[in-house]
Amino acid sequence: MSQKLTLNIVTPAKQLVSEQVDQVNAPGSEGDLGILYDHAPILTNLRSGQLSYEVDGETIALVVSGGYLEVTDNRVTVLAETGEFLHEIDRERAERAHAAAEKQLSQPDISEEDFIETQKKLFRAIARLENSENN
Amino acid sequence: MPNLKEIKRRIQSVKNTQQITKAMKLVAASKLRKAQQAILEARPYAIKMMDVLNHLAARCNSDLHPLLDVRDGKRHLLLVITSDKGLCGGFNGTIIRKTAQFLKDNESHDHSLIVAGKKGNDVFSNRPVTILEDIIGWTKDFDYLKAQAIGENLATLFTEKKVDKVSMVYNEFKSVMQQEVVIEQLLPVAPEKLAHKEGTFAVDYVYEPDEEAILDDLLKRYMTVEVYRAFLESSASEHGARMTAMDAATRNAGDMIGGLTLTYNKARQAYITKELIEIVNGAEALKG
Repeated sequence: MSQKLTLNIVTPAKQLVSEQVDQVNAPGSEGDLGILYDHAPILTNLRSGQLSYEVDGETIALVVSGGYLEVTDNRVTVLAETGEFLHEIDRERAERAHAAAEKQLSQPDISEEDFIETQKKLFRAIARLENSENN
Repeated sequence: MPNLKEIKRRIQSVKNTQQITKAMKLVAASKLRKAQQAILEARPYAIKMMDVLNHLAARCNSDLHPLLDVRDGKRHLLLVITSDKGLCGGFNGTIIRKTAQFLKDNESHDHSLIVAGKKGNDVFSNRPVTILEDIIGWTKDFDYLKAQAIGENLATLFTEKKVDKVSMVYNEFKSVMQQEVVIEQLLPVAPEKLAHKEGTFAVDYVYEPDEEAILDDLLKRYMTVEVYRAFLESSASEHGARMTAMDAATRNAGDMIGGLTLTYNKARQAYITKELIEIVNGAEALKG
């Protein structure tokens, strides 16, 4: 019997994935994580980036942004703010978001809070653009 | 004798009304399907979020976070969620009544309201309570971002100590036929609610970056999710209530049409009988 992880990826809008998988690769805020069977319990923030998982040698990838990843007892739970499979990504929209965020960041009188918020948006847009390219 | 034309006109008018209520029922049904879908898809996130928060709070020294801060103050903020449109049975009536009752029962507290939905605002703006903000027109295109804005607003009011407690009053979606008004404390995030599921065993977790940072982030997000869920619940309940109300209205109109048709037929029969008698009388008179 192969040893599998139970992966759940949920966003506020939808339950994206609920599957038995072999491996999960996630963009943790402190660095990328590769999670295999019998991983130690962990709770971490996620940054915007590519999250992929492997089922029977096949790799499926998504772009997620913000949220958490929790591993307990070989259950991997991803609470992401947004999540899309690669083929769902709307490049044009991401490009627009990218341009808008850059423009806003270049303004000299931007407040600290806005800066952080916009920076997040920028990272999200970049993550989407980068990953849809290697499609 | 009842006027035949008059009855006929009434039947027609009731029929028209029935058509409208029927159409509204169908519209509500299709919107309900969507709203129900949305709430069913949002629930797993809320539940998982709760799980993670529980795991974390069980192990953290959670007194430190401003959103967990229990204060003795009496300033209590209520977020009341009503609908923008009427014709949905007792939906708004119940929630307004419950809120008013709650205000009355806790008179010693200093209450203020944030009212979402036109119907609630119409009522509470005429009453002696402070309305901090009205959110009108939310039922159109409500999404996660709006919930976030509302949640952040509430969190700011709380952390800046303008209010000591925040609760939400909304209709919880039980089933199509059934909604239940709930008053739920949102802030401070209740420790007993957190400790609720402590059956889970305390494993040593690895935290990245660290517990406090995650707790902070998690609590903020938890608020947004709760607000988002409450609005979705309310939306699904509203459509359910409207569908039920319109279904009843359609049925009532049907009964009324039945009754009126019976009266109409009786009147017509009476009229024919009367005419026959007149003709027979006339013929008799001529014979005579």
